[in-house]
Formats: sequence, C-alpha cells, structure tokens
Amino acid sequence: MCVVGDLKLDGKYGESAILICADRIIAVNPQLPDEGLMLLFEDIAEAKVKRLYGNAIFRVKKCDGQTVDLLRFTYSATDLCDAVADFITKVKDGSDIDEQLEVVKITYNNLRCFCPKCGRKLASPEADCMNCKGKGKMAEVLFGYIKPHIKMLIVSIILSIITTAMALVPPYITKMMVDDIIPNKNMSMLIAIILALMGVYLAQYGLGALRAYLLRITGDSIIVDLKKDIYAKAQYLPMKFYDKTSTGSIINRINSDTTQLQNFMLRITQEAVVQFFLMIGIIIIMLVMDWRLALFSLIPVPVVALLSRYFGKKLSPMYRRLWRRSSSISTILADTIPSIRVIKSFTNEKKTIDRFSKYVDDWMREDKSAAKTASIFPNAITFFVTCGSLLIWFIGGHYVIEGKTDLTLGILVSFISYASMFYAPVNFFASLSDSYQNALASTEKILDIITAEPEHNFGAGNAPKFLEGKVEFRNVNFSFERSKKILNDINFVIQPGETVGIVGTTGSGKSTIINLLMRFYDDYEGEILIDDINIKDIDIDFFRSRIGYVQQEPLMFRDTIFNNIAYSLPGAHVDQVINAADIANAHTFISRLPDSYDTTLGERGVGLSGGEKQRLSIARAVLKNPNLMIFDEATSAVDSETEKLIQDAIDQVIRGRTTFMIAHRLSTLKKANRILVVDKGRIIENGSHDELMALKGKYYKLINIQSMSEKVAADKEAENFE
Amino acid sequence: MPRNFIDEHQIKLTVNDKIYIDAELYTGEKFTMLEPHRLFPVSGLMKYISLIDEEGNEQLIIRNVDNLLPESKEALLSCLNERYMIPKITRLVKRTEKFLIWMWTVETDRGEFTFEIINSYQSIKILYDGRILIKDGNDNRYEIPDLYALDKRSIKLILPDV
Ligand SMILES: Nc1ncnc2c1ncn2[C@@H]1O[C@H](COP(=O)(O)OP(=O)(O)O)[C@@H](O)[C@H]1O
Ligand SMILES: [Mg+2]
Repeated sequence: MCVVGDLKLDGKYGESAILICADRIIAVNPQLPDEGLMLLFEDIAEAKVKRLYGNAIFRVKKCDGQTVDLLRFTYSATDLCDAVADFITKVKDGSDIDEQLEVVKITYNNLRCFCPKCGRKLASPEADCMNCKGKGKMAEVLFGYIKPHIKMLIVSIILSIITTAMALVPPYITKMMVDDIIPNKNMSMLIAIILALMGVYLAQYGLGALRAYLLRITGDSIIVDLKKDIYAKAQYLPMKFYDKTSTGSIINRINSDTTQLQNFMLRITQEAVVQFFLMIGIIIIMLVMDWRLALFSLIPVPVVALLSRYFGKKLSPMYRRLWRRSSSISTILADTIPSIRVIKSFTNEKKTIDRFSKYVDDWMREDKSAAKTASIFPNAITFFVTCGSLLIWFIGGHYVIEGKTDLTLGILVSFISYASMFYAPVNFFASLSDSYQNALASTEKILDIITAEPEHNFGAGNAPKFLEGKVEFRNVNFSFERSKKILNDINFVIQPGETVGIVGTTGSGKSTIINLLMRFYDDYEGEILIDDINIKDIDIDFFRSRIGYVQQEPLMFRDTIFNNIAYSLPGAHVDQVINAADIANAHTFISRLPDSYDTTLGERGVGLSGGEKQRLSIARAVLKNPNLMIFDEATSAVDSETEKLIQDAIDQVIRGRTTFMIAHRLSTLKKANRILVVDKGRIIENGSHDELMALKGKYYKLINIQSMSEKVAADKEAENFE
Repeated sequence: MPRNFIDEHQIKLTVNDKIYIDAELYTGEKFTMLEPHRLFPVSGLMKYISLIDEEGNEQLIIRNVDNLLPESKEALLSCLNERYMIPKITRLVKRTEKFLIWMWTVETDRGEFTFEIINSYQSIKILYDGRILIKDGNDNRYEIPDLYALDKRSIKLILPDV
C-alpha cells in the first residue's frame, strides 16, 4: 500500500510517499536523511495524523521516544492517512491484516467516488452522477421548460411574423404615394390606399394584442414551472447543501432568478426569432429596391458585431459580481429579519442598519459601473447605425439630385424608413448580449440547485414490514470539513427496545451521531445498520417515518396547533392527535388556550413558551408511532418543573421503543439501560449506569460534578427562600 | 477559569519540535510541547496566540507577538508558519470550468498547485481590507493578499468571481 503526499516536509508543494507493508513502513522523501526511512511496526509506539491548518503531517513516535515526520500533505489526503494510521495501530495490536486493509480500501474508494466526467463527488462509487446525467447542457435544461409550451410559442411566433410583415407595408406605400399617386393626383387610388393601410394597421395591432396575451400567459406558466421545480428540488437537497448555502440566496434564486431566466427565454424564443425575420425581410427589400444603397447601409453591421462581442465580454463578469452582491443582500435579510428579537435585545438596530446599508451601497457601486458599460453600449451602437443612415441620405440624395440613376425620391424616402427599421433588430441583437449575460448569471445559480445532487435513496421501495429497532454503528468516521474530524471510529450495538443515553461535553459529537442515524449526512465512512440492514439500503422516506425525532429547539410552523401536531401524520384522526398531545403532557395546556387546538402559532411557534413548544414537538413525534425515538437535549432549555412534565412524557413515549436520549442533566438518564460516553468524537465508555460508575472513568466524574453543582444549586435555592 | 494572559516580556519561547514550542516564564514556571493557535487566523495574524498543551488545555495567551523578545518571537513565528499553511497566490496560471466546478492552477509562495473550487460563491471570500480568501474542495485555504498587485491577466481571470 502506498500513499502519496502533495507537500514536502517543509510545507512547499511537492510529492513524497510512504509505503506500508504488513510489518513495516517505508518513507520515500528527499528531505529525510538518506532520502528515505524504514520503520518496523514493532519499533513504532504510535502513528497518527496531526492536523494543522490547511495541511497535516503523518507522525510516528518510535519506541525510543523519538518522533519523526514521514509525510506531509494538504487536506486532500487526510482521510486516507487517518485510515493508514488506524491500520498501523490496529495491525500492531494484532488485528487481522486483511480485515484492516479492507477498511483502508473502503476509505480509498470513498475518496475516489468522483464522477469520471465532471469530477463531482458521488455518494457512492456506483452512484450515477446527477450532474452529468440530468444536465447535459444548460440549453437542454432550459429547453425542457420551453417544450411543454412549444405550441403556444409557435402560434405567437407566427402571429409576430405576420405583424412584422405588415409593418413592412407602410414604407412601400410611402414610395407609391411620393412617386406615383400624389404627382399623378389620383384621388380614388389615394382613398383606396388609405383604407387598405387602415386594414393593415387594424390587423397588425389586433394580432399584436393577441400575441402579447398569449406570450404573457405562456411566460407565467414557464415561471411557475421553474419555481415549483426549484422549490421541490430544494426540499430533497441534503443537509450538507444547507450547511453551506445561505437561505437568502436560495430564496433569491426561487424568487428573482426565475423571473430573469423566464424573461430571457421569452426574448430568445420570441423576439429573437421575430427580429431575425424582420432583419432578413428588410435586407431583401432593400436589396431589391436598390442594391448599392443597401450595401452602404450594411456597412455599420460588422462594427456593431465587433462592439457587441467586446461589450459582452466586459459585461459578463460584472453581472456575476452583481449577482453576488444582490445575493448577499438577501442573505443578510434572511438572517436578520427573523432574528429581530436578538437584535433588539442587544440594541443593535443601528449597527444592523449600517451593515445592511453597506451591502446595499456595495451593490450600488457595482451596479453603477455595470450601468456605465451597459448604457454606453447600446447607444454607441445606435450611434454607428444612425451614421449609416446619414450615409444613405448623402449618397441617395446625391443620386436623386444628379438624376443619373433610376433612383426616385419615393424610393429614397421609403428606403430611409426601411433602413431605420433595420436598425431596430440590429440594436436588439446588440443588447441581447446584455440580457444574455444577466440571464446567464441567474441560470448558473438556478442550475446550481436544479442539478445539485439530491439525497440518495439507494434503497427506494425497500421497506421492511417491521423494524425491531436494533441499531449498530460499525467503524463510523465522519467529518463536516476536512479540517476537523468530528466522529472517530464509532462502534456500538443497541438491542431492540433499549433506552440509550448519550452523554458527553458540548461539541463532542452527540448530535452528529444522531444526524448520521437520521441520514441527514450520507458521506460518512463505515456502516450504520438497523436490524442488520444497512440504513442506506432502506427506503429513506420509510426509514425516517419510523423515527420520532425531538430536537433541542422545537420548530413550529405558522399554522394551528392541531396542524402542527398532525404534521407528522397527515390525515390523522382528531382522537389520535388529542391522544398524542395527552401522552406528551401537552393536552392540558392546549385546552386552556382560548382557541385550544385552533390556536394559530406565529412564525417559529411564537406565542408558546419553550417547554410548551417542546411538548408539542413530542406530541408530533409520538403521533406517528415510530419504532425509534430520539431526544436530542429535549429538556435542556426548560425549567425543572417543565422538565419533569416533559420527562414524564418521555417516559410514556419510550416504552417498547429503541430510544436514544441525549441529555445534559445526567439525572434524566436514570431510565437508560445503557450509557454511551462520547468524548472528542470517540466513544470512550459504553455500559450501564452501574458498570460505568464502577469504572470510575469520565462518566463517574461527570456524575460527581453534576450532583455536586446540583446540591450547591439546591442549597442556594433553599437559602433564597428563607 | 480566568484566561492566562501573559506579559510578553516575561516569557521565553523556544521551538521544541517544529510545531511545538516550550515556554519558560519569568517566575521559573515551565511548559513543554505547547501548540500555538491563532485565535484570529483571519483578522489578526500577530495578535492573540493561544498556547495549548498536549491535553488540549490552554495554558497561556500571548496578546501581541510583536512585543515578544526577538528570539521568542522568531521561535513562535517559525512554529506558526509551520502550522498555518495558507499559500499566497502570486499568479493565476489557469482557470477552467466544468459544470460549475472551477479548476484553478496557481503559483504560490509554496510552489505551483492545482485545486478545485466547488462553489465559487461560498468558497471565495473578500475581506474588507481587500484580501481574498479561498477555500478549495478539500477545505484547504489560500489567500490573495492584494488582487490588484497581481499581473493583469490574473486580475482579469479572478475578477468575475469576486
Ligand atoms: N453543520 C456543521 N458543519 C460543520 N461543523 C459542525 C456542524 N454541526 C456540528 N459541527 C461540529 O461538530 C462538532 C460536534 O457537534 P455536535 O454533534 O452538535 O455536538 P454535541 O455533542 O454538542 O451535540 C462540533 O465541534 C461542531 O462544531
Ligand atoms: Mg447537540
């Protein structure tokens, strides 16, 4: 087995390697004395990966007390080196080599779970890359949204072409007027022509209205499709996505980016087509009328094309920057408005306003510079194009005055009108790049969501009839970020119906264990099994529906209490809901509210105390009659009286179910059959209360500290009462 | 527990083992194998260095590295430099995109390297002092001390992302 590091020992980029055999480790590195080093496992006291900042070192402590650094690498290789260090430690302790090698191999394969096409990390080696599979190209995705409305769009294109063609009629009539009808004083022809013209106008604007209507409703349906899709997609994105993406930017994408995109799609499919035909039509007419003049009027076109490219390149980064800024604004909004209570309590309104202003100003600065380019550009183009018409006046006027060619005044006048109509599409295509760049920035962000990898449901449809509730963690390792390993080699087995207490200091990884069990994060190493089935092989919806999960901060929706409880079991019978509320010790306080179960809660459950909300969330969890119950510090934020109420509720709920209880106050874990003590991401003790007390380890210490402080608190309270 | 802020003049620091440092106080109290941690690795490189022992408990805090005795300062800085690897990007050689993942090939003060940025909107952060911090797909960090000090081509390549 060979591991290659991407740093030299002095921290510069460069390669070096270690080779691990069954009983020794060989380091190859020009910076080691003799360019290499061989160590037998038996000479090694300890092998470990020391994480630094942005890099890590593979360190070995020899039995003689000396330490040597064998390999240095960036975070890209830390997981693998962790596994290697574990391998050495375990093999040295006499574990089976093949078995341990397998563990390293799994880690390695995990690391290599990249899509061969695009390089995105996959959930498992066999998984399809959603990115490549679902996407192909941006255009393809966008076309998917246009497709259902293609008929409407074609109809409106046809309408547009008709109206455009009609727009080409009046200048021709001008020519007839100037050259023929007026000089010949043909009154009846004049009236006929005017009537015909009126008909043309009527048709043109009537159809125009119809087209505008069709287009608008089509546009609406496209935007609705987009919004629904993104929202739906967002629901299935893994927690990892939400850890990293601000809510504000997601809201921004669903709200405003979709509008941008829809505008652009309509422009492309409608106006672009129409303007294109208009342009072709005018060019043909001009060529037929007078090819020399026509060529002259085309002179500005290459200039326009070049300019358009130039400005497009300039604008694109500006729009990306602009997007970033507007996204920061929504982020700050989404962050501060819901936390208004905190802001007020720290009288930080002014600072918050300043911060917001700063972001808005930043946006304005960026928009100003984009505005400069974006406004100079179309006008510069119009300028060039108008200069073209001066050219026509000059040359055409010259011809007419000289009278040498067959160019008449009528032709010249109508030619000028055609030429000015010709500039509209040129202008349009020129400014298209502007809206294209803008749309591109939005599209990228939307695609970011649409093509993001959703939670994998490997075991879709695999729903066992009955879950006993045996839970097992096997060699589970996990980190949110490479810079810090959160869970380290977690192993335990929980028998069906057991009540397990998980204790440990804050930040030791208790909630993370639960997060993995809930399948909120899938990219851990090792296996989690329920009833000896890997949880990844069970249908994710079914699996989660079998777990009742009560969080530390109960979140309620802006809805009635009844609906909030029934949330876990849509269509639940009223009796069931009341029963669940009763079990959770919530019925009594609910029934005392003026509106009882019909009480509408404010945002995040405003209007209830923490303990009341917590009891509602327990009721919610109970209602679905889960096989597994999880309480993550459910009682840590409430007073001791409420805690007792909640504790009573919990005692009722856990009967006959495998239960995980994370608790700060160890006294609440009296009912637990088994206690897991977590420390710095490792399980350091595992056993019953009595066993752990006899062990006199960390648990024993924790218990002592707590009972002492509880006693002090009780004494104080007693004092205060006297 | 009150933090043990230490007067910079009353401590002597010597390198123990690359990233570990030994400390001796004026009072004669000695610590060995302390690991220096920046409390503000982004905003205050020379301020508030916490010295942590092998059990992970903080023993001392140094408020300002610049006030240390010269030898001590040198020892501490060499430890910090070993530990904190934030290559400074001096040139952007190549920037390519594939399905919204950016591959950057850069020249840094530690040599040339290629890394990927998964999501440019979250991975590239501009600080108000003009520094740009970059986090790659593997959570490694990089820094551009001053964008406008780079060559024109690099600026042009980076500008859209900031
Ligand atoms: N979403 C996250 N992203 C990155 N790190 C996290 C995240 N959630 C938790 N952590 C880190 O994981 C560690 C364990 O957290 P947690 O399991 O919540 O601890 P606790 O034992 O208090 O429940 C903490 O150090 C925390 O900083
Ligand atoms: Mg927690």
